[in-house]
Amino acid sequence: MKLPPVLRLLARNFESNLDVITLIVMFGQPAFLIVVLGTMFTPIVGNLGTGENYTSFLVPGMIASQMITGAVLAGRIFWLDRRWSMVEQLFSGPFRRYEYLAALLLTTLTFALVGVGIMAVVALPLVGLPLLSPVELLLILGTIGLGAIFFGGLLIAIGSRIRSANLYFTIQSVLQYFLVFVSTVYYPVTSKTPFALRAIVYANPLTYAANTVRDAFTHHFGPGDAVAAGVLGGLSAVTFTLAVLAFRRLDFGPVQ
Amino acid sequence: MSEAVVARASGLGFAYRPGDFAVRNLDLELRRGEVFGLLGRNGAGKTTTVRLLTTLLPPTEGTGELFGRDLRHCGRAERQRIGVVLQSESLDFVTVERNLTLYAFLWSVPREAAKSRAEEMLELFELDHVRHRKPWALSGGERRRFQVARELMHDMELLFLDEPTVGLDALTRKRILAYLARRARAGLSIVFTTHILHEADELCDRIGILQGGRLRATGAPADLKRGYRGSRFVEAEFDRPVTVEEGRDLDAMLARKNPEYTEVARGPTRIEFRAPDAEGLVAELAGWASSRGLKLLRIAVREPTLEEAFVGLVADGAGLEDDGAEAA
Repeated sequence: MKLPPVLRLLARNFESNLDVITLIVMFGQPAFLIVVLGTMFTPIVGNLGTGENYTSFLVPGMIASQMITGAVLAGRIFWLDRRWSMVEQLFSGPFRRYEYLAALLLTTLTFALVGVGIMAVVALPLVGLPLLSPVELLLILGTIGLGAIFFGGLLIAIGSRIRSANLYFTIQSVLQYFLVFVSTVYYPVTSKTPFALRAIVYANPLTYAANTVRDAFTHHFGPGDAVAAGVLGGLSAVTFTLAVLAFRRLDFGPVQ
Repeated sequence: MSEAVVARASGLGFAYRPGDFAVRNLDLELRRGEVFGLLGRNGAGKTTTVRLLTTLLPPTEGTGELFGRDLRHCGRAERQRIGVVLQSESLDFVTVERNLTLYAFLWSVPREAAKSRAEEMLELFELDHVRHRKPWALSGGERRRFQVARELMHDMELLFLDEPTVGLDALTRKRILAYLARRARAGLSIVFTTHILHEADELCDRIGILQGGRLRATGAPADLKRGYRGSRFVEAEFDRPVTVEEGRDLDAMLARKNPEYTEVARGPTRIEFRAPDAEGLVAELAGWASSRGLKLLRIAVREPTLEEAFVGLVADGAGLEDDGAEAA
């Protein structure tokens, strides 16, 4: 049986460009942070005014941040494919450009969801996990999926315009750290947060995702979460379009 | 487009920036079962031509067809019928053997067929001993062989090879060329770019010479050689060294008879000229030698090699002398 092109590319993405050590580090790092940051900060921070301890606050944030982990891995695959001329090779073969892009975004999505599962497994013995309704579960996965497409599309669009590996990975790291640290993944926004910083935090799509996961965990899902999912959907559509446009004009010249 | 033509270009061009053409006004027909060589200096537009014909780049002027379909509208159906060995190395981060079968998987080659073809390719391209290595751990020649082997994992009607033999030793090159020639005889059309001209002479049914993004000449290697400035080469060897005075006399005599006689090489006892009228030059040389008391040990007329024809054509177009120096 002939598999559809997107699935063939997806299978290749999983097999070809990722080594076990990279995967362990990419997924191990957030798991490590849940354990270490949770353990170290919980006695200092105490409860966050909501009755929950810091680890309980951190876990939904780390789950939401998996959208970035997935996107970083897909961006890495794309960059390596460019560096080793596989993009050119595949485009001259039986694949359409949008199929390659779709396979990359599916890869992003899959890695993000695998990351969610790993974070949940790590969190379970530490803080337990709430019993989620199907709607809440769907909301979490949908939000993270959209976030993964947003960030993945952004990285692919950037990666298709850059010819230097150093520059690409620098931009990726800066974006990754900026989005993670200027969001509500590690800390809540309070009345004491400076206005400018608060504005940036609330403009950050990762904040919507972290807040939505948190709301679902505490069963406080409200209209704001639906709006956040809508905005995230819109942003994902924008970066997806950017990636499609970048692919149309992709320069096959040498990269280093 | 007739069944016999697999690809065609008519006034085809591509500009990376407005006005900055890498290929311009390309008229070309690739026929079924023929090996077409694209020759040209570095930056002549060979790789851009391959990218245009493989639909990787959209033409910015002119028209082109691949299997009868406009290049601008070609899609999976046409690309499924071609194979491309890029100039730059492409690879997946798995072993050599798995690269072959993974590539076959991408092309939907059935698993059993892929396994047996991988074995055939590993043997043919002498990669059996490195089958468990990652491609980046191979030597330069092995990596190039791997590129060609991987592309041959799937069936195709038209194969583009962008400098496939760079870095290969002579024996391996011969072996690969022989294999490609066999495939061409079985109906595979091949477009082949190379800098190794005798290889193109050996393999190609027709050759196109690109210069500055334009096709300067197209034809069978023999025709290109014959058409080289309409000239052939005359080599003469005398029984003793020609003195300076005799040399001046010879030059003056030849310039009087035909100014198109061009000296190519001169040694103490040997001279070589390029001449549009080789037989005429032979007669002049014989007469002159006899008048000077020189005995001709050998006099021969030969066709130009493809390399001479190529250098002549390209030098003419670039304002260069045959030896590559800038013309004054």
